Amino acid sequence: MTTQQFLNSAWTWNTTALVLSGVALIAYAWAFGLNRRIPYLLAALGVFVLTLVSPLNALAAGYLFSAHMLQHILLLLIVPALLLMSLPRSVSLGSRSWLIANPFVGWIAGVSAMWLWHARPLCNAAVSSQFVNALQISSLLLLGAIFWRQILAPREDERISPPGAVLYLFSACVACSILGILITFSPVSVCPIYAQPPADRLGILNLIHTKWGLTPETDQQVGGLLMWVPMCLVYLSAIVAQLARWFAHPVASAPVTDKAL
Amino acid sequence: MNGTTTITATVAHLLTPAERQHWKLAWLSCVDHKRIGILYMLTALAFFVIGGIEALLIRLQLIVPNNTLLAPDTYNWLFTMHGTTMIFLVAMPAVFGIANYVLPLQIGARDMAFPRLNALGVWLVPFGGILLHFSFLAGGAPAVGWFAYTPLSEAPYSSQLGVDYWAISLLVLGIGSVSTGINFIVTVLTQRAPGMTLRRLPLFTWMIFCNAFLVILALPILNAGLVMLLIDRLLQGRFFLPFGGGSAIMWQHIFWAFGHPEVYIVAIPAWAILSEVIPVFSRKPIFGYQFVAASTVVIVFLSLLVWAHHMFTVGLGHAVDLFFVAASVLIAVPTGVKLFAWSSTMVGGRVRFTTPMLFCVAALLQFLIGGLTGISHAVAPLDWQTKNSYYLVAHFHNIFVGLIVFAIMGGVHYWFPKMSGRMMSERIGKWTFWLMTIGFNLTFMIQHVLGLAGMPRRTFTYPDLPGWGWMNMVSTIGAFFMAAGSILFVWNLVISLFRGQPAGDNPWNAWTLEWATTSPPPHENFDALPPIHSRRPLWDYANPDRPDPVVPVGGAIDTFRPDKIKAGVLTFIISEAGFFGVLILAYLFYNATSQSGPGAQQLDVLKTTIFSICLFASSFTIWRSEAGLRANKLGKMKAWLIATIVLGGIFIVGQALEYWHLFQSGVTVGLDLFATTFFTLTGFHGLHVSFGLLALLVVLGVALVSNLKHGRFPALGAVGYYWHFVDVVWVFVFSIVYLWPLIR
Repeated sequence: MTTQQFLNSAWTWNTTALVLSGVALIAYAWAFGLNRRIPYLLAALGVFVLTLVSPLNALAAGYLFSAHMLQHILLLLIVPALLLMSLPRSVSLGSRSWLIANPFVGWIAGVSAMWLWHARPLCNAAVSSQFVNALQISSLLLLGAIFWRQILAPREDERISPPGAVLYLFSACVACSILGILITFSPVSVCPIYAQPPADRLGILNLIHTKWGLTPETDQQVGGLLMWVPMCLVYLSAIVAQLARWFAHPVASAPVTDKAL
Repeated sequence: MNGTTTITATVAHLLTPAERQHWKLAWLSCVDHKRIGILYMLTALAFFVIGGIEALLIRLQLIVPNNTLLAPDTYNWLFTMHGTTMIFLVAMPAVFGIANYVLPLQIGARDMAFPRLNALGVWLVPFGGILLHFSFLAGGAPAVGWFAYTPLSEAPYSSQLGVDYWAISLLVLGIGSVSTGINFIVTVLTQRAPGMTLRRLPLFTWMIFCNAFLVILALPILNAGLVMLLIDRLLQGRFFLPFGGGSAIMWQHIFWAFGHPEVYIVAIPAWAILSEVIPVFSRKPIFGYQFVAASTVVIVFLSLLVWAHHMFTVGLGHAVDLFFVAASVLIAVPTGVKLFAWSSTMVGGRVRFTTPMLFCVAALLQFLIGGLTGISHAVAPLDWQTKNSYYLVAHFHNIFVGLIVFAIMGGVHYWFPKMSGRMMSERIGKWTFWLMTIGFNLTFMIQHVLGLAGMPRRTFTYPDLPGWGWMNMVSTIGAFFMAAGSILFVWNLVISLFRGQPAGDNPWNAWTLEWATTSPPPHENFDALPPIHSRRPLWDYANPDRPDPVVPVGGAIDTFRPDKIKAGVLTFIISEAGFFGVLILAYLFYNATSQSGPGAQQLDVLKTTIFSICLFASSFTIWRSEAGLRANKLGKMKAWLIATIVLGGIFIVGQALEYWHLFQSGVTVGLDLFATTFFTLTGFHGLHVSFGLLALLVVLGVALVSNLKHGRFPALGAVGYYWHFVDVVWVFVFSIVYLWPLIR
């Protein structure tokens, strides 16, 4: 099989993902109408569906750890962020007293989603069991949303202040980088199921190993590096947005209150 | 005025009348940030002379092919000492010195947040420097380069004491730097004048503030590496020795995880000086304050991420190289933003080419060249060709001398009037400038060519290949131009201190608060401050009819002012977390595969669990103790405090018993990788528990003898934070060392 043939043929039909996306779209339109933030929702649903039906999903299902990692990052960081950005500015995501309003809870949610799912038994189970896989996907979306709520909540007063947000994102990046570094340089397999694929269902093992040069060792390195470098760049982009938010003068909203100092 | 009275008047400036009674101690014992700043700079200057002489000797050896002036060993000593001295004993103390002097003044503070800690930081510099240079007397200086790659720096290959002195002195300097970094952060957070919100900080202060985070995050990585190296060398550990199962590459990772941010630790203050001087002498506010400020944060972040581009030639594999090429090239964006901002500040301004401005413009241009060659090194295939050649030497000297030394010289010429009350001579200053820039470009520009022609670096001589001889000759001549420039610079400092024109409060018509007080400032810095509504308060004060737009106050964070002691301890904890992070990563890496011999399975998990419960319980008791203080029940507070000390003591005794047991059965540090990593990780944790216990005992002693009726006892809260942190570290260590082997 050539790369072209693989890319053409390895699409999988995922009824649940499509139905869920349709429901989300209708629910959004029903709740908020067709406002100008809807492109964010479309982008979120697009990334979500593509992650689960494209050849990426076929590769992540037992062939490539790095493909799984890319899926993981998209579902944890990109989809929930876009979803939160699609909400109109007036929507409140729970009162201040809720547990998820606590930045520590948000931080732990984001970081633990990375660490827990890469514990060896869980990582293996997410590939071999349909149920655990579904559990993994939904938990990533949920934990990602709890993580991003601190940064991207529609209402300004439900977010943490920009300098705090910079520290929040920076420390989350460090915590995930440590895992990425460990995976990159680990002499043992983090997710052994990818080292010995149970059965070559698609007949692409040869393609991956020889044409793409992704031996199990390199594959794990690329997976670790994806978590270490590009994932941190996602956090970095958010940091830049926070700095822009901080230095953009809130002239209209906050009158000069020097006397208050 | 004749000469004698000038000198007397100057000496009168250096000491207050009261201090003349005990003049021997007046500068040694002082904790005033201004004097400490000057002490930092004087120390840097002294080591600049030493490092400069080393550089001249290196250049003299290389003046002609096949030269025999220096023996190979001597050459290796000299380039190691030159690099180490210039980075740790010149660049860092110099930028810390300038920041120490200027930062509190710019935010309208009376002093740094922790003046005594500040004094500790400055005195650790000469102490570390003397330790490093003492190696010359103790059987030979280190000859392993400033990066001390293992296994060359390990005991079997460098059996003399040089590397030990090198590592211990860097450890001393690293601790001093972390203390200074903590001090800068807490000073900016807690000592700002009313109205000086975080968004109104002058760029210099903002950039030093960001840089301080890099200091407290990067230096602990080096410190962890250094203790691992010392354990290898002195206790026969196995971290970096391949034949003992260790990994020599691990040292490179640790060193460059520190080493890459280190470049920015000295470069960001240089940019901070540029951001201050260029607007003043262009008579325009900085172009794009927000962009310069934000890009600094981005650089701090990126610099911690991309160290592996120093290791392209190690053979990490294409996958790793590829990611780090991409991430490293990204750094060009925020640095490009800065260059653009400084250039645009000059465009359309009324540029005055005074000596400080000349140095800063030169720094900008040399940085452009060094930055571009830097990008060429971010591309792995090019890096493979040029890494070990003089092309790289030329690149990083463009950064370290062209940018950093020039910016520091610009900064010294700029702030000298404030520090001394006298102007530096412009005539000598311009001579200094031209000698330095011409000398620098003679020395280093030609090294790009030499490097591309294949001349390897770190080698004591070279064969007589076509062109190499005269190019090296030019390079050496250039070095002596720079030496002449440096001598003139020192001469200018001395002569101006005694004979310079009086400066007045604000000789450059600058806009930040340090120019709002007398030159030199009184001990308490300010009598009164002008109102602060923008980033240029003195401009607003001088031009009430057309002030800068007011920088609004938008929420609590702008006026955020945490408790000084708690902020200090929390910053310290961030830095300590970095240190333990490296040790934990090393433990995980080295124990990923189980080896033969005694391993974690042999540990007595049950006993340690009992002792661990004691330690975890002590977090609860110290929390109760604080609650007792808040409720003003001092008896309760003391009782819970004693309980904390007892529980912590039980843990330490338990750990000692465990060690004793292991030693009895022949498990020592040098036995195998497990033993080395186990004793290092648990030992350093135990050391921290012991320090925590000492601190608790001191707090208890203070609580017993003093009268705490007001319920205010910040030391208890601070020690409480530290104690919780030590417990949290043990949660990780205990899970990884004791529980992980049970489940895997």
